[in-house]
Amino acid sequence: MANINLQMAWRNIWRNKLRSSVVIAAITVGLFGGLAASGIMKGMVMDMIDNALENTVSHIQIHDEHFIDNSEVVFLMKNSNILVQKINSEPEVEAVCERTKAFGMASTASKALGVMINGIEPDKEKKVTKIYTKLTDSLSSYFTTEKKNRILISQKLADKLNAKVKSKIILTFQDYDGNLTGASFKVEGIFKTQNAMFDEQNVFVRKKDLDRLLNMPANTSHEIAVLLKDYHKTPEVVDKLKKITSYHIEAWNKIDPYLELTTSLTGFMLLIFMTVILLALGFAIVNTMLMVILERTKELGMIMAIGMNKRKVFIMIMQETTLLTLTGGILGILVSIIFITYFGKAGIDISGVAQGIEALGYSSVMYPQLSLTDYLQVIVMVLLTGIISSIFPTIRAIKMKPAEAVRMD
Amino acid sequence: MSIIQIESLKKTYRETEVEVHAVNGIDLSFEAGEFAAIVGPSGSGKTTLLNLIGGLDSPTEGKIVINNTNISNLSASQIIDFRLWNIGFVFQAYNLIPVLTAKENVEFIMHLQGRKKQEREQRTKDLLTSVGLGNRLNSRPSQLSGGQQQRVAVARALASKPKFVLADEPTANLDSKSTENLLDIMEKLNREENITFIFSTHDARVVKKAHRVITIEDGKVVSDERK
Ligand SMILES: Nc1ncnc2c1ncn2[C@@H]1O[C@H](COP(=O)(O)OP(=O)(O)O)[C@@H](O)[C@H]1O
Ligand SMILES: [Mg+2]
Repeated sequence: MANINLQMAWRNIWRNKLRSSVVIAAITVGLFGGLAASGIMKGMVMDMIDNALENTVSHIQIHDEHFIDNSEVVFLMKNSNILVQKINSEPEVEAVCERTKAFGMASTASKALGVMINGIEPDKEKKVTKIYTKLTDSLSSYFTTEKKNRILISQKLADKLNAKVKSKIILTFQDYDGNLTGASFKVEGIFKTQNAMFDEQNVFVRKKDLDRLLNMPANTSHEIAVLLKDYHKTPEVVDKLKKITSYHIEAWNKIDPYLELTTSLTGFMLLIFMTVILLALGFAIVNTMLMVILERTKELGMIMAIGMNKRKVFIMIMQETTLLTLTGGILGILVSIIFITYFGKAGIDISGVAQGIEALGYSSVMYPQLSLTDYLQVIVMVLLTGIISSIFPTIRAIKMKPAEAVRMD
Repeated sequence: MSIIQIESLKKTYRETEVEVHAVNGIDLSFEAGEFAAIVGPSGSGKTTLLNLIGGLDSPTEGKIVINNTNISNLSASQIIDFRLWNIGFVFQAYNLIPVLTAKENVEFIMHLQGRKKQEREQRTKDLLTSVGLGNRLNSRPSQLSGGQQQRVAVARALASKPKFVLADEPTANLDSKSTENLLDIMEKLNREENITFIFSTHDARVVKKAHRVITIEDGKVVSDERK
């Protein structure tokens, strides 16, 4: 039965070529719009997350519990060097580094701004975050000299402070004992990440310079950052580390809750987008099929008169509706796959139309992406739309009385 | 024993205040192998009577027994199945599914019955050949003349191996040559295969061919003659 029924459904669809083409085109365009928009959004978000993890956040961070709410110098971790060694010996771990952090003022002759001063061990930091690849000025270097008190600042900060490579910047902060202290740092490099907010708030100096100025006890730090070989393993490694240390351990999605929120939001947005689009299309499909039923009153009456039962009529109309919907759906998904695959590699440069998008942490070249699961989810939704849209027209069809339908007048 | 037994059959349509007694007390019976015409002027109740016999409509009063089954006792879904397995239908028009070929139209009803592919195909070929359309198996209804379409409808009606065939004015839309041709085919099937045909008409040339002529007027049988 299946074969001739599908053939019949397919031929019935093309009885009214124009009308069916319009419906199919509407579904194709609707799905393409939804999928392309979702793909672009997902691509931007994933790119932002990748950037954030690579450049700054890493996968796991460890702090003293109090430091989370109140980044004061006294909330440090003791024997952090031993902890770093232990973490490094875990097989899932790619690299570990520790940092001293102090909030302070960065000032030049023209201006003073509040910044987070990150005291890093340049070589170890290199293995965890990619700041060293983000240097912009050709004169920039990444702590290549052994000279004291060198600093990396962002392009953004440099502009605000009116500073350049080799400029002097005064950092002022409270030391471990609560005394106000400060020192002059020479700009060694200027960097620029995709996250303007991060850039504005962070400067980098050598950990040993900062430790000395802060009067930090030996073998202490405020932050340990861990990079994993595979970030999907984050939850397992977090559990493991909890057994090693009682300090506060955070996974990337907790370090920056915004990242977590955006990730789950994109999945949800695809669902919302598609639901709204398919709901609108559903009305068009129902309307079309009602017209179809009305046009075929006599024919359907005849079919029921000769002995097609309601279940089979139901299936027949449902097959036609679903086939119509699925034709548009598959076309829409195919076009979307082509679009997303092509631009997923080539990228879409929107810097021309969307100035300042980088300030939000997004890259100005978008690489749309959707997963197989996303596509499958949409196909299932299209199928459901077809089936649901067929219910109302089918009920109309089976309510018909064959005796009246076959009467000639 | 008769295959169709009709007793005190009445069908009354109520339209606003007026009652129309389309069938107004009919007693009739049909034997297997009959070739019977129901004759009467337009509005006399032919279609109503055939629809009642075919289980497409339910009577206001009286009963119809087909092969020992009182069809008024069947549920809505039982009656559909009953039609599929016991009654062949030929209507005045809209007999065929336009998107299916002649062959597929005939096969369609056997699909509904769940018959096997091989049986379907053989039977379809045989039937279309016997109505003179062995060379038009793959034509769509729109590619066939009115007479050819009605012959496909006859083949389709027979495909389900029904107890009898009901044909409501099957020649009404046909020219005289096609009318004669269709009637000859029906008569041949009746004669050679003992197929029972009950058809309505108000065409004198068709009446001539019938072996039994039942004349109705105002929903009542006024004469019932066998030749
Ligand atoms: N659904 C209906 N509602 C009201 N009156 C009807 C209906 N169907 C048929 N009639 C009436 O019943 C009478 C018999 O009609 P019908 O059986 O079609 O006659 P015939 O087929 O002999 O022309 C006519 O007067 C017709 O108007
Ligand atoms: Mg009539």
